[in-house]
Amino acid sequence: MPPELRHDHGRYGWSAGLHHVWLLAIKDLRSEFRRPYEVISLITFSLGAVLIAGLTLGGGRVPPEMVASLIWILLLFLTMLTYTTSFARESDRGTLGGLKSLPCSPLAILGGKVVYGTLLILLVGSVLIFFTALFLPLDLEGRYAEFLLIFALGATGLSLTAAFVSGLVMFSEGSTLLLSFLLIPVSVPILLPAVRAMTALLSGTGEMIPALQLLIAYLGLILAVTLLTFACVLQE
Amino acid sequence: MAENPPEADLRAVELTGVSKRYGIRYVLRRISLHIPRGEFLVLLGHNGAGKTTLLRIMSTQVSPTRGTVRLFSQDPRVEGSTTRRRIGLVTHESFLYPELTVLENLQFYGQFYPVAESRYQEMLEMFELRSFAGVRAGSLSFGLRRRVDMARALLHDPELVLLDEPFAGLDERTTRLLGEYLAALKETGITLAMTSHSKEKAGFYDRAITLEMGSIVQDVRYAA
Repeated sequence: MPPELRHDHGRYGWSAGLHHVWLLAIKDLRSEFRRPYEVISLITFSLGAVLIAGLTLGGGRVPPEMVASLIWILLLFLTMLTYTTSFARESDRGTLGGLKSLPCSPLAILGGKVVYGTLLILLVGSVLIFFTALFLPLDLEGRYAEFLLIFALGATGLSLTAAFVSGLVMFSEGSTLLLSFLLIPVSVPILLPAVRAMTALLSGTGEMIPALQLLIAYLGLILAVTLLTFACVLQE
Repeated sequence: MAENPPEADLRAVELTGVSKRYGIRYVLRRISLHIPRGEFLVLLGHNGAGKTTLLRIMSTQVSPTRGTVRLFSQDPRVEGSTTRRRIGLVTHESFLYPELTVLENLQFYGQFYPVAESRYQEMLEMFELRSFAGVRAGSLSFGLRRRVDMARALLHDPELVLLDEPFAGLDERTTRLLGEYLAALKETGITLAMTSHSKEKAGFYDRAITLEMGSIVQDVRYAA
């Protein structure tokens, strides 16, 4: 292959693309943990919300729908808080120009944000679920794999949607506020099946497969839209 | 006997009828400009003349509303990644991440190119940044950040270096250091294009183009 077609370190095509996604995600994670107050505030927010819910509902029987709804509403807010500073921060600091100057595709830039956001949401979400298990009835009856699957799929869906919306609004005035407003309606198709699947799992009675199918279908849809349009989002 | 390459292959940048509009306001109007390989070009003009937009179009950061851009005979819309590998860009905005150290910033950008490990130390040495390698970019002065930005842009040995007001806001020492480095770069035959407000360094360049209201009003070549 001629040198001008080489991407980096001998990697080509998809391999180079995935390597770029990983480099970008690591950069974001490293930056994030260098200012730990943001992660700490996310964890404090989760603890506070679960504690209030636990103390308010504690003592009596808490319906599984309520526990599942609480978890996913909190995950939505965690996603919002994570992504309000994602592309907007790159744009405000001027580092977006640096990303656009790199020899990688716009999709790799988005992919980096999605991987970074998903890992962060999974990390803080795990702490949230630990708190939920402490203060609210969260009896999984050994079905940990199914629980992790719903959690991972939902978190990835929220992250992908939020990253895309965050990219869409980054050049707008009040991009932070816009993201919060826009993310709620576009997240509904992720939240509803995720809550249904988790309710079915927690109650041990319902069927969670149809809800998971819906969740995967919406993930596929948002992924297709993102792949087709994100290059235009970054273009000025 | 080897044939001479076609004229187009000798051009680093080829802009034809390039216009750029933001909303209803035209920032650039029908700019046609060829920059041969190895030329050191300066874009002059007042604030709002369109220098930065023209430089950003050359760097593939911005797409023209009309007209065509070719860099090293390649269409950046089709071969964006390949084209960007050949460009080093320094704008008035720093591309450095304040939470990362100087070395980490260089390594982050360098990982996208085939850059040898020794190259980082070489660049730190070249820009007198060795003692700042472990310092977070957010705590550096403006002049130091500019030096790190220059090191970042030149890490991968680009064939075309684009600089937006590189001397703006720099102290005397950094201006001298940067001037010396640009002079050395010019000797290597690299293609350089930079924007500037003033002509004070005329003679340092091969060619000066003056922009006014988004159009080229003067194109002067200096004798070698």
